[in-house]
Amino acid sequence: MKNIYSYSKNLLSSALLVALLGVTGCEKRLDISPYQSIADDKALLTEDDVSVTLVGAYDGAQNAAVYGGDIMVLNELIGNTDNINFTGTFAGLSDSYQLQMVANNSFAASTWISSYAAINRCNNVLSAIDKVTSSAARKNSVEGQALFLRASIYFELVRLYAKFVGDGDIATNPGVPLVLKPTGNVTDADNLPRATVKAVYDQVVADLTKAETLLPTSNGFYATKWSAAAQISRVQLMLKNYTEAAAAANRVISTSGRVLNPDFTKLWFTFINNGGTTPSEYLFSIKVTAQDGSNSLNTYFGRTISSIPGTAGRSDCKVKAAHLALYEAGDVRKNFFVLSGGSYYTQKHLDRYGDVPIIRLAEMYLTRAEANFRLGTSVGAAPLQDVNIIRGRVGLAPLATLTLNDILKERSLELAFEGHNVIEAKRLQKNVGVTPWNSPKLLFPIPQREMDVNKNLVQNSGY
Amino acid sequence: MRKSMLLVVCAMIFAIGGFAQTTSVTGKVVDEKGAPVSGASVLEKGTKNGTNTATDGAFSLKVKSGATLVVSGLGFEAKQLTASSANGIIRLTPETKELNEVVVTGFGGSLIKKDVTGNIARVKGKDFEFQPSASVDASLQGRAAGVYVNSQSGKLGQSVTVRVRGNSSISASSQPLYVLDGIPITSNDQSSYGGDMNPLTDINPNDIESVEVLKDASAGAIYGSRAANGVILITTKRGKVGKTNVTVNLQTGYSEATKRLPMLNSEQYAELILEGAKYRDDLDGTPISDPNSWTAYVKNDVMDYYSYGLWSKDPKKNYDWQDAVFQKAPYRQADLQVRGGNDKTKFFASFQHLDQTGTIIGNNLQRSTGRMNLDHKANDWLDIGMSMSLSRTFNRRLPDDNAFSNPLQAVALMPMTPFIDPNTGLDAGTPPGDVNIPLYYNPVLSVKYARFTQDVYRTFGNTYLKAKILPGLTFQTEFGLDFLSQNEEGYFQSQTVRNQTRAVRGVGTNNGTFITNYNTNSYFNYTKVTGKHNIAATLGMQYQQSQAKYNFTEGTDFPSNSYQKIASAATKSGGSSSQSDFRFLSYFLRGNYTFNDNYILAVSGRIDQSSRFGKDARSGFFPSVSAGWILSNEKFLQGFKPLSFLKLRASYGVVGNAEIGNFPQLGLFSGDAGYAGAAGQRPSQLRNDNLKWETTNQFDVGIDFGFLNNRITGEIDYYQKKTNGLLLNVNIPATTGFTSQIKNVGKLENSGFEFVLNTQNLVGDFKWTTNLNMAINKGNVTDIQGQIIEGGVSSMNRVQEGYNVGVFYTVEFAGVNPANGDALFYKNTKLADGSLDRTTTNVYSQAQRTVVGDPNPDMVFGVTNTFSYKGFDMSIFFNGVTGSQNNIYGMGRYSSASMLYEDNNTADQLRRWRKPGDITDIPQVRLYRVNGSQASSRYIVDGSYVRLRTASIGYTFNSKKLNKYKIDKMRVYVSGQNLLTFTNYTYWDPEVNADSFDSNIAKGNDFYTPPQPRTFLLGLNVSF
Repeated sequence: MKNIYSYSKNLLSSALLVALLGVTGCEKRLDISPYQSIADDKALLTEDDVSVTLVGAYDGAQNAAVYGGDIMVLNELIGNTDNINFTGTFAGLSDSYQLQMVANNSFAASTWISSYAAINRCNNVLSAIDKVTSSAARKNSVEGQALFLRASIYFELVRLYAKFVGDGDIATNPGVPLVLKPTGNVTDADNLPRATVKAVYDQVVADLTKAETLLPTSNGFYATKWSAAAQISRVQLMLKNYTEAAAAANRVISTSGRVLNPDFTKLWFTFINNGGTTPSEYLFSIKVTAQDGSNSLNTYFGRTISSIPGTAGRSDCKVKAAHLALYEAGDVRKNFFVLSGGSYYTQKHLDRYGDVPIIRLAEMYLTRAEANFRLGTSVGAAPLQDVNIIRGRVGLAPLATLTLNDILKERSLELAFEGHNVIEAKRLQKNVGVTPWNSPKLLFPIPQREMDVNKNLVQNSGY
Repeated sequence: MRKSMLLVVCAMIFAIGGFAQTTSVTGKVVDEKGAPVSGASVLEKGTKNGTNTATDGAFSLKVKSGATLVVSGLGFEAKQLTASSANGIIRLTPETKELNEVVVTGFGGSLIKKDVTGNIARVKGKDFEFQPSASVDASLQGRAAGVYVNSQSGKLGQSVTVRVRGNSSISASSQPLYVLDGIPITSNDQSSYGGDMNPLTDINPNDIESVEVLKDASAGAIYGSRAANGVILITTKRGKVGKTNVTVNLQTGYSEATKRLPMLNSEQYAELILEGAKYRDDLDGTPISDPNSWTAYVKNDVMDYYSYGLWSKDPKKNYDWQDAVFQKAPYRQADLQVRGGNDKTKFFASFQHLDQTGTIIGNNLQRSTGRMNLDHKANDWLDIGMSMSLSRTFNRRLPDDNAFSNPLQAVALMPMTPFIDPNTGLDAGTPPGDVNIPLYYNPVLSVKYARFTQDVYRTFGNTYLKAKILPGLTFQTEFGLDFLSQNEEGYFQSQTVRNQTRAVRGVGTNNGTFITNYNTNSYFNYTKVTGKHNIAATLGMQYQQSQAKYNFTEGTDFPSNSYQKIASAATKSGGSSSQSDFRFLSYFLRGNYTFNDNYILAVSGRIDQSSRFGKDARSGFFPSVSAGWILSNEKFLQGFKPLSFLKLRASYGVVGNAEIGNFPQLGLFSGDAGYAGAAGQRPSQLRNDNLKWETTNQFDVGIDFGFLNNRITGEIDYYQKKTNGLLLNVNIPATTGFTSQIKNVGKLENSGFEFVLNTQNLVGDFKWTTNLNMAINKGNVTDIQGQIIEGGVSSMNRVQEGYNVGVFYTVEFAGVNPANGDALFYKNTKLADGSLDRTTTNVYSQAQRTVVGDPNPDMVFGVTNTFSYKGFDMSIFFNGVTGSQNNIYGMGRYSSASMLYEDNNTADQLRRWRKPGDITDIPQVRLYRVNGSQASSRYIVDGSYVRLRTASIGYTFNSKKLNKYKIDKMRVYVSGQNLLTFTNYTYWDPEVNADSFDSNIAKGNDFYTPPQPRTFLLGLNVSF
């Protein structure tokens, strides 16, 4: 026995030694880091860091709930019983189509959440813009792009979630919270109230104006000077500042060097037909590839058409015959609907990949025409000339005389199902179906989850 | 069967015929205290010759000389002795089966049940051996008090919800910690497709000797920050000294879904949808004969279009799409176990092959496992040993419930749509036919033209070395490994393009998962008995390191559907690799002190450090204390005869929950924000340096009792679990760019009763035992600091202060207005006096949401009755839950919705309102006009059930006859699972939890969820 215990004692001391060694070695072993992420304080130290964060901002804008298409889908769908027969089963969309939205509408929540996530990415870029030192041109481009994206998203938010310009006083109407700094630690100070509609528009105009001066004239499929100018023309049109709207549209038409695509039908199917090349007519669009992003306009307006390989979609938005009747005979656009399963579908969004159009050059002609017409001016060109350019492309005879309604009708047909319906109705103070343009039913709710967490917010009336 | 009866009769005749020389035995049977035992049976072994003792315990019997006597009494261990030694006093010892069981406590610890002061539920492997349940967690269902198990769906190998004493978390996992032979194993889902899978499926349940569930803090504190959800210790079988025993078990049978759901047939469908169309036409003032009317649309563009024009020709032709997706599914299983050993070396080896087909088309599970457990005594002071299990689990998967390709979603298809496209002779919707028929994607196409398989190769290995250092002192060190290697392959042929829009020319995916999980335990165990003092202590450390690596490849554009590996894909459309690690370092201490066998005191504690905690909160201490008092050993109770055992025990302690994923405490940017081919990064997580484990303080008081010589034993427990510092995904304003941040915020409580009763109702030739367990748990979220936390179908599950986690919170349905068929809702708005406005409205947005149900059961229970008579044995096991509700809105909004859409509806919609004065609960049919199909309590239904979970009847053949063939034992049996279900539930299966929505708070949702299988098996068990 003695022998055993002397063995044992040696064993005991070596075991304890092993245990102790293990302990000291182990403590350090707890200091491990994630692999797909990096520490936030080491993420924005160099010019490259800022550049990839800018790409992240585009990625944020590309989110299906933002410029990936939901914003356009909703602007098209809200109350649009005149033109669309919506047969989809997503309650959030169905409710907006039937004007039965509730405060926890899932689309109202996801667009809000994803938009502000993208804005935070823009703010991170802007906060670290001094790290971009390789050239002034590069710095200007990065800053201009971040400002353009942030302003564009705020512009969408203020139109979706706040009373429209012309409905009451924009200086007192609540808009959306304005966040212009990146989020670090979250405190009570982050429970921001809604800035006024005017404050949001002022910020949008200021950012876009600065962006236009900073942005380059060509920038691949990223935002350019012309993207900013085109967005300014839209903003000014909403604000009924027709002089500024005409001027901005004219800057794009006359100095961008972009031209209308002679064939209207070739503007679409950018992936199926062009392998993903963005048409030059697109002043800004969001890219969707097989690996990245999804196009909500395709998701809800698209349909699998056997004769056009690569097409897809949920077939949720069937175009009513009443809409087709609006086009004149011979209009190329009238034939740009496909009949399938007894219903018509627009061909604008049958392509899964490629571009989600945000602003096209054709809109600039129509904006310039309308603004000039309203002002009685001919900045760049006479309104009749601009309208006939749009008509001529789709095989229609030129008009000899022009009324405001001619311009507006041309605009609504040219831009049909691209996300303008409810916005145009509100801008022009027309009914949506039988619902008055300023009805609270046409307004998104501030998401219930946001109301719950931030007591400084006021809900829109009707929710 | 007739043959076996003949055998029995022959054996009896043989026994009676064998007269020989006899001798007389006279004796007296007494108990351990010397008191006479009356009515005890004294039997000559192997014969019918026997007698019973008189009131004074005396007996007299003539037997063959040299015969063996079997003496047994109610509540006593049976005793065998030779006839010659039986004259005089025969002392019986009380049968203390339950109380003398050894209970595993972790880290080499074990206690005799009567000395346990914490709450540990023990389930013997025998109780669920050779039953058609693929994983050990599902096998625990109804077998341990306070352990609630929900198998969620009938899909094979999918994850199972297990809750020990309620939900103790909101955002962190509430699943228990699983420890297999000392190693905390990987038990969370690793699949990349469909619903969550269950990595416990890789363990062969028939290898298990016992499962111990550590429920209270005193049992769990030794697992510190990981014990708040309970710890499940799985101990596998080990070798036994003696003859090598080989057991073969073969089972074969089939499964079918427990239920079909009554849906509308073609005529009923047409009746309802035309009624809805007419309503719309009346509203528009359009005559139904108008070609632009809704009626014309429904006839031409709906019913005729989706039936290939056949509906108008034969409106009665009906297709029940459930027939297309349910099937009778074969089940086969073979087990081989070899067990033996000598004084130095003992071993247990097993092999299993299981082949189970799903009751839903397209689902198949195959498992092959092998295990070898070895123990060797090297010399007087050193033991070494190892366990090793290898397994392969193959699963052909089904998509998640919320997918058009989920076969059960076929119930939504119109009953007039034929299964086969008459134009092509192929399944409806197969190209080149019209792919937009049926109404939705035909899920049968995904079974025929797509495949997603999961192949898991799993190794559990464990080696140990145990040394006796000093008398009473041992040192044990263990090294364990859990290696999970998984390959998932998917291929979606072009025929599935309507569902997989990218499968224009095929899509192939391939996922690899490699998880290496190392664990070392090193500890000293010390025991000393001096006089009346009995001391046991454990001191040690544990280190665990888990590394998970994932990779993924995807390809599109295949030359044809004959090429299905990504090597042939023209476009490699996706790829990824990633890694995530976690580590734990722990020190633990445990001490037990018993005085005079009556008074027991136990303390334990653990210090935990983890890579998951914030830098300012890295280390946590988890202590516990418990005490027991065996009253039945006290003099004042000795006189009370019926009572054979009584113990009071109480415990208090602190345990934690650290299942919050890896690196929740860090402020992070992620590199996953690329755009159109350019790399990008984004802020992805907010920092919290103080983040730590959730803390649960638990108090438990219990009584263990035994009556009538322990023929009746049981336990009663009351517990209180108070959890604070919840790891909560705290909602923050989305305007920050984030929606939530993980913080230690909030409190919740669980309290409840547990009741266990084991009785031997009949002993002797006809034996009948009953084991009952029952638990009542009340969960209560006491503080979430105003957080709104919602989830589940249409966000109807909610965390609400004053209620259990995940209650159903929605608008309250008030029935149908008899005057006009409008759905009504209670307003439930708060009035000035604080009461709720109980008036009704047909404007949904005017109604306030309120708590209308709870997916958590109030009570769970299980009852097992076993019977045996001679060679026959029978076991009947019921389990049930009461007081739980399910949410059927996922499917209900489309299919129990007064034909709102074109989906087929459940047959109960025929009760719809039709004319003024109708009293019904189904609102008027209004095509595409929402009328009552909004989220409301209409879709929150009773989920209580009682289920005949398993039943078996077997016959064991007389061993003497079999010995001729060198067979020790042969048993044939029939068994079944889920044979009967008693419930008010209206959809398929009340035991449900849709995998697409599953989270801690989102329970009880039914979303076209496949029901549990009902399985019938025929089995043969042979030992030699």
